[in-house]
Amino acid sequence: MAFARLANGNQGPVRVIEGQASKLSRTMHGIAYDPVHDEIVVPVHLAGAVLFFKADANGEEAPVRIIQGPHTRMLRPETVNLDLQNNEIVVGEDGGKDVLFYPRDGNGDVPPLRTIRGAKTGLDEVRGVAVDPVHNLVVVGSRSDGKGTTGVFIFNRTDNGDVAPRAVIAGPISGIIRIRQVEVDPGQGKIFVAVKNNAESYRFEDASPSPWNPDKPGFIGVWDIHDNGDVPPRGVIKGPASEMVWPAGVALNPADREVYTIDSVSNGMYAYYMPEFFPRKKQ
Amino acid sequence: MPANRKSGLVGAGAAVMFLAGCVNLFFRASPRILSFSTPATVAAANTSDEDDDSCADTTDLAMAMTAWKQVQQRKADPVSASVSSVSVSVSGTTAPVGGDIAPARTVADAYPSFHSVAIDPAAGQVVISDSNRGAILLYDRTSGDNSHRMVPPEREIRGPRTGMMFVAGISVDPSQREIFAVNNDIGDRMEVFSYDMEGNIKPKRVLSVPHGVWGVSFDAMRQEVAISVEHPNTVVVYRRDASGSEAPLRVLHGRETELADPHGIVTDAAHNEMLVANHGSWAPLTREEEDALGGSVGGHFALPSINIYGVEAKGDEKPIRKIQGSQTQLNWPMGMSLDAAHDEFAVANYGTNSVLFFRRGANGNVAPVRVIKGNRTGIVGPMGVAIDVKNDELWVTNYSEHTAVVFARTASGNVAPKRVLRNAPAGTPAVGFGNPGAIAYDSKRDQILVPN
Repeated sequence: MAFARLANGNQGPVRVIEGQASKLSRTMHGIAYDPVHDEIVVPVHLAGAVLFFKADANGEEAPVRIIQGPHTRMLRPETVNLDLQNNEIVVGEDGGKDVLFYPRDGNGDVPPLRTIRGAKTGLDEVRGVAVDPVHNLVVVGSRSDGKGTTGVFIFNRTDNGDVAPRAVIAGPISGIIRIRQVEVDPGQGKIFVAVKNNAESYRFEDASPSPWNPDKPGFIGVWDIHDNGDVPPRGVIKGPASEMVWPAGVALNPADREVYTIDSVSNGMYAYYMPEFFPRKKQ
Repeated sequence: MPANRKSGLVGAGAAVMFLAGCVNLFFRASPRILSFSTPATVAAANTSDEDDDSCADTTDLAMAMTAWKQVQQRKADPVSASVSSVSVSVSGTTAPVGGDIAPARTVADAYPSFHSVAIDPAAGQVVISDSNRGAILLYDRTSGDNSHRMVPPEREIRGPRTGMMFVAGISVDPSQREIFAVNNDIGDRMEVFSYDMEGNIKPKRVLSVPHGVWGVSFDAMRQEVAISVEHPNTVVVYRRDASGSEAPLRVLHGRETELADPHGIVTDAAHNEMLVANHGSWAPLTREEEDALGGSVGGHFALPSINIYGVEAKGDEKPIRKIQGSQTQLNWPMGMSLDAAHDEFAVANYGTNSVLFFRRGANGNVAPVRVIKGNRTGIVGPMGVAIDVKNDELWVTNYSEHTAVVFARTASGNVAPKRVLRNAPAGTPAVGFGNPGAIAYDSKRDQILVPN
């Protein structure tokens, strides 16, 4: 679904890519826009595929390329992002517990260029990926239910195999309980994270049960690319005025100094004007 | 004031934006930290927290947002405090940049998104799920007309106590006057309500179900409930009264089943069959499942299909029939409804804004016996269908418009509906979010992209 940036209130999308020929499905928890090649990239979890669309696609339009098949080593892609400087796409998987890199123009049953997977990586359910080509790093949001670490894992961009991260931002001071999409602003060396947090909490036996837990609200957190350990965010959008309940995604628009998020419970899309996060003036 | 915020304040939905802008400006007027490197005291951050409730409540009223959000906002003071305490414990003098910032713009639907529909003709009751606000809406069977009038439900079940989140499929048991509702992709539960329940109320019983359930069908003859599950390509069947973490009676799962992103499900008690609509997406769910299949197999896209199984099918059992192929016109088939009296069934065919009717025993690459489709029908993004044999009517719930449309049971072609039931003022756009999970910005078109 594509919305005008200035859409506000009860407004519908200006166009929708949908229908059988699109090969889209539910549970698409990632999306990236490629401004150089003017394409949209979407992972299709339920079909083990990554789809590339013309960015102006509309209606029942087929993807222009599909990465799918046994040689891809993909299980179910959860999230996706682009590294245009190195002409690669990066795919994160929750069930696969890995990060896979492919040529940006890959098509069909193509093997990954590199894979970060294994016990040393500390990765569990990968929910967000982003590449910082300036610092040559890849940033991974990984969620674990108890046994492992939930947080932001930072690897060297060219890491391959079962390698330990060079840094992990996690812990109570970080405020990260559940994590989703991540983005980077390479120019500033900043990591933007959709910290979903608020977990399912419905207990039928309670007198007044609730499916959400308001004492663990989600937020947008900003960390430095060089942060490591249990460190607080350097920037936040958080609180009742923000209207966020379970923020599931984050996108940046530095030119207009805006941050966007989507909330998976309130079914709301929010645009925040954040000059604090983007100190440069619009040209 | 920046141009983008100014434009937002004068944009559509003036009342909403005025209030939202009021909140935003208030917080912007509070002492704030201007950049990541600017030190500031925690006291300054706390100043903005003190007035959260009043502004948030005002915004909430204007937006007519859901009851659970009101609860969240009213209880939010401890949350704001926790933001500040994080900074105190680490740096002592440095608070994070930003804070409790009101959105400059919000896109959300203040009205229901009709999802699935079930009907009890004897009770004169139509039951519709609302996946946008996590609700069940109960209407009189004769609701709707040919005006632009918005029709309020007779009753509404909605609120945090209900447990409903992304409520999808529903089914009814006319003999016990119960409603079965399942939550898709968030809130892995089936809630059961009686027809008479209303408001923010606990269900009669709750059953934990697998993640990703979509369709539900009550089988009165066997006193069972069959549920389709998208993510693991599975059908689970429970006792009618199952609750808590009770295990299913039967599980249908495996490559031989040819289940592929199952959606609508309907049991045909008279013929001992079960029909399942599939979108066609398939991939192993886990590495373990992949290994069991002989190693890396990769995902694939199959053609959409209606698979027919024996009603007691379980394990890796093949379908006994399968409707699939270019003649079928299937395109993102959603809910289904069986008309045993006339030996046919209807399919909400989302992808072509149509309703397809097939003979009950149809098999293979067959054309539907009739199709309701066209600009006069008012069918836009159909998600649910319900055939009312007693009153010779067909109900269709639209997800992409704020309407349900009612036709003669035998309607065919590009025909206007007998009645239209509107859940929002005529012309109100349907936003269409259903538990969205990511976002991106298209800088060339100045558009925000959301996979849904």
